[in-house]
Amino acid sequence: MEISDNSLIEAHNLGDSDAFRQIVRRHGPALLGYIIRMSGSREKAEDYFQQTFMKAYEKANTFRQGNFKSWLFTIATNVVMDGFRRQKRQLALSLNEMIETGNSDGEEFGAVVTADNSNNPFEKAAEAELAEKLRDIIVSLPEGQRAALVLSYYQQMTYSQVAKVLGCSIGTVKKQMYRALKRLADKLPEQRKIL
Amino acid sequence: MKKNHLTEKDLIEYQFKLASQEQIAEAAEHLKECEKCRQLNERLAAKFSSLELLREEPQLSEELVSRVLESIKTSRQTKLKLKTFKIPAWIGAAAAVLLVTSLLVVSEIKEQRKSKLTEGLRIKQPQVTEKYAYSGREITTERASEISGDSKELGRVFTVGDRIVSSKEPKKPPFAPASAIELVTLPRRENVQTTIYNSADLTLVRERRNLTLKRGWNWLQFMWANTLIDPTSLNLEPLEEKGKIEIEQLVFPPRLKEVGRWLIHSEVEGQVPFEITYFTSGLSWRAFYMGTLTEDEKTMRLEGYVRVTNNSGEDYENAQTRLIVGKVHLLDQIADLARRQWPYGWPGEFLPLSSNEKGEIDKMRGFVAQQYYSLSILGDELSQKVITKEGLSEYFLYTIEGTETIETGWSKRLISFTADDVPVVNLYKYEQQRYGNSVVRFLSFKNDEKHKLGETPIPGGMLKVYRSVDNTGHLSYTGQSAFKYIPIDEEVELNLGPVENVVVEPTLMKFSTENFKFDSKDNIAGWDEVRTYNIEVRNTRDIPVKVEIKRNFASQYWDITKKGDFDSFEKEDLDTVKFTVELEPETKKEFEYTVRTYHGLRQQDWNN
Repeated sequence: MEISDNSLIEAHNLGDSDAFRQIVRRHGPALLGYIIRMSGSREKAEDYFQQTFMKAYEKANTFRQGNFKSWLFTIATNVVMDGFRRQKRQLALSLNEMIETGNSDGEEFGAVVTADNSNNPFEKAAEAELAEKLRDIIVSLPEGQRAALVLSYYQQMTYSQVAKVLGCSIGTVKKQMYRALKRLADKLPEQRKIL
Repeated sequence: MKKNHLTEKDLIEYQFKLASQEQIAEAAEHLKECEKCRQLNERLAAKFSSLELLREEPQLSEELVSRVLESIKTSRQTKLKLKTFKIPAWIGAAAAVLLVTSLLVVSEIKEQRKSKLTEGLRIKQPQVTEKYAYSGREITTERASEISGDSKELGRVFTVGDRIVSSKEPKKPPFAPASAIELVTLPRRENVQTTIYNSADLTLVRERRNLTLKRGWNWLQFMWANTLIDPTSLNLEPLEEKGKIEIEQLVFPPRLKEVGRWLIHSEVEGQVPFEITYFTSGLSWRAFYMGTLTEDEKTMRLEGYVRVTNNSGEDYENAQTRLIVGKVHLLDQIADLARRQWPYGWPGEFLPLSSNEKGEIDKMRGFVAQQYYSLSILGDELSQKVITKEGLSEYFLYTIEGTETIETGWSKRLISFTADDVPVVNLYKYEQQRYGNSVVRFLSFKNDEKHKLGETPIPGGMLKVYRSVDNTGHLSYTGQSAFKYIPIDEEVELNLGPVENVVVEPTLMKFSTENFKFDSKDNIAGWDEVRTYNIEVRNTRDIPVKVEIKRNFASQYWDITKKGDFDSFEKEDLDTVKFTVELEPETKKEFEYTVRTYHGLRQQDWNN
């Protein structure tokens, strides 16, 4: 039987040094995926990832019984949003400088194109191009819409869990989700086969 | 069916379940019928299928995990270092004393020079009219010149070491000094003992400090800023030279927050050990336990731990720690007292205590005094830390051997006891009304000698239960449960939560109503309801289990017939029966019962 998140957190609070390592391993991949999709850059995502777990480590004693994943993703959302705000300030301060947006390099997004079941190099190239386009669209979405889409679609959270993570109502989440999907529908090309 | 065609918005909301249940159902219905909308829906679905291209989660590299853990470790160490480098209050106090001392030495030299020049002249003393409170009374100090008389007789009042010492000592106590220059601040603790009461936010602190006194009057300053110390509980006692040292008063000067000053009259000069006692808030302790079941789950290794947390604002270094189980009645919350501007309310305010309150205070003082003097000398270092226990009438005292440093903001886990091979009883219970459709697992044991326990009551806490799964020490998590204080010879039954590996499935096989009775108007006034249930009990575990199945009836008028594979049956109460089934590993048993309940006038015919 797998030890629950709550038990691991309790063990961590009681001084079990290995418990937090287990938490990182358990939630790390999903959290990293979320942060990469949110930030659009693997490098930045790793920084945010590190900050998230450091905060979780420090604040573990404030975690009350409940959904640990939601709690962790709430911290991650705050870290990423703070990062965006800082980035915006830097952008405002250094208009003359070249600002790396981080989403120019497809490699950085981290997620891999899954549709490699075809050996046709043209199809592969087309899919890579489409994935690139999709990344660009997702990264260009307003933060709220992006978070709603990534959490509900990629992290497969329910709308109520997403609302909890983002600290808003379910109605707001649905609105953001709809807007994100509408933009995707407008920008994505047709004629894509279902994988 | 929806008459109008579905819009793109309707279809997005339909695909991603953003609309209400009704709207989604309506859209689905419409799509069945409308080819045009279906095509639009498929086109949209094809577009959204691109989202799957980014579905795969990234690889979490070992390097990143290590980096995260390393950064946490580094940040912790940095914090620890910062904490270590934080200058303790006593160093500040000592520095202040040194500074004051050097200032006074300089002023003394100047004074000596001056006195040579002005020999024979009268030196006028400053006039001070301060008020200070003591024991609820308000005393107005006399003029310094009146206290000390003629300045020729006064000699040097303030000497090195910031004590008030007169070569010709004034008979009356001097006024409380307005500034800290004339004071001894508390030196470093020699040792300290904390007694933490679990039920109230209350800790009794006894600390020993060596004060250097001069013959005559000495002022000693005590500050409790940023701590949760209750100033009304402060007490100072010399441990040696008791007949020659008198603690005259404790005053709380006006306009100075969180400062108390003791006036000490000493007939001896030099270093004297003192004991300071007070109550503080912010220290707490919590017991928790770990139980490890053997593979056959017949015995358990029980380990008890205590976690002590210090949020009092004060670091207690090398403190002997004692823990009290039992309820303490408090008139005031210590934390509130600590935060008050005036320790005893407004200066001059006198609040008489009711006889009840006086009684409570005396009781509390008696209890505290009992503990003060029943203890051995503090600070004995012992090689192994064991928690020893002793009874104190309605309270129970656990003493952690040796000393522990518990800095403010920190928690410390200490082992309390370990008991091997504690026999336990495993019982699985099924009762739909209480636990729903799941079987719930219970674990029970007794706090007595037979169960390798029973030396002391066990403080309430959370027990986490694990099970050994092989000989290499691997464990699997079984469940957890909180329990309250377990007195000696008492049994405790812990609910470890629902399980999936033992299943009870009741099925209603037959239902009928019969034996109708009619009233004078031919209305039905009485009848029987007959239900037949088949109960299947399955044990998918690799060890035998015992399952208790309780069935509740809607009426207290009932008869039952039963058959099948069960081990015992008993009537639990008015409307509940209990079947007990014991199952071998990976087996199942089935039994059946038929219950007839009597309703209305038929209840008169019930004969049981």
